[in-house]
Amino acid sequence: MEDLSQLSDAVPAAPSAPLASSGSNRVSLLDLFVCFIKVGVTSFGGSTQAWIFRAVVEERRWLTETDFLAGVTIAQILPGANPVNLSLYVGQRLRGALGGLVATLGMVAPAICIVLLAGALYARFSAYPLTHSLLIGIATVGLGATLAAGAKVARKLERRGAIVLIGLATFVGVGVMHWSMVPVVLVLAPLSVFLAARSTNG
Amino acid sequence: MDNLFLRLILVFAPLSALSIGGGQAIIADIQHQTVDVYHWFSNQEFADMFAISRATPGPNTLIASLIGWHLGGLAGMLVATLAMYIPSSLMFVAATSLWHRNEKSRWRVAIERGLAPIAVGLIFAGALTILQALHMGLLGWTTTIAAMAVLYYTKVNPYLVIAAVLVVYLAFFFLGL
Repeated sequence: MEDLSQLSDAVPAAPSAPLASSGSNRVSLLDLFVCFIKVGVTSFGGSTQAWIFRAVVEERRWLTETDFLAGVTIAQILPGANPVNLSLYVGQRLRGALGGLVATLGMVAPAICIVLLAGALYARFSAYPLTHSLLIGIATVGLGATLAAGAKVARKLERRGAIVLIGLATFVGVGVMHWSMVPVVLVLAPLSVFLAARSTNG
Repeated sequence: MDNLFLRLILVFAPLSALSIGGGQAIIADIQHQTVDVYHWFSNQEFADMFAISRATPGPNTLIASLIGWHLGGLAGMLVATLAMYIPSSLMFVAATSLWHRNEKSRWRVAIERGLAPIAVGLIFAGALTILQALHMGLLGWTTTIAAMAVLYYTKVNPYLVIAAVLVVYLAFFFLGL
């Protein structure tokens, strides 16, 4: 059932141990490519982060959660599509610039084929309510995956008032108020990093 | 044809570099350029392509690939896709290479810890955005929560979850519920 288990078995299973990103057990480019193809064909409707989290952090333990979360934020504030940027981040983290290229190709190439196929079939199928219904079904799985990934990483956040507050402020500002994401992050990130640096020293 | 390729590059490459915050930020500009400026598509055609790029996996900006395909076949698709992704990707790799090189430094640890709660906030904000776009009924809520629970508590293959949900939606559709 779990076709990926043999990959994660090769790597120590401690949740926050330094992982495969450096040292002897380097991730092969082929494994990286295959992993991102799998993610690329699953990631419907804005749920890419959740599937990358599941594949890269949970199943294969290639990245720690904090490393991944830093990537999520960086991928969003820099120019470029989020799925592409996050693929670049993970690939580059594991295998340098070439890894970034391989991961991005894996993410995008099959998705392009599906988009073109859907484009060719669209005229024929878009008229059917069934198509619409099935797409909503797939989107709910993506939403469920996003909520599950969010719940998992939220549970592991440090339980300090300031940290919870910053997470909530980000959610309310971007999600509820629909403020532009970049300014919100550019205000909150320095504050949050400052607080983290201070608590490390003290 | 060279002219078309050049125009595709002129449309997508600058938008790529400006696409801060991802695809949503530039979709309106892509529409403006391809519909109003170059008259490649009608508004309806653009809306259809946008719907396709949203309904399929991968980034929304794959609409560039569709546009390139419609205008110039395989070569047009490749030119548009590369113009869409190369500028932002080069900027991203350049901006993050310093980050990747300083694995153990103290400032990096502080930045990682500081960015964690923001990333969590962004993930839930993304979930809320999807939720608002879906206009779900009872069935939608049920499968969302079921998928969340399964993905949270088990290591089941995601394709199985998607397949199971598709079966449920097929059943409900044909039973007329």
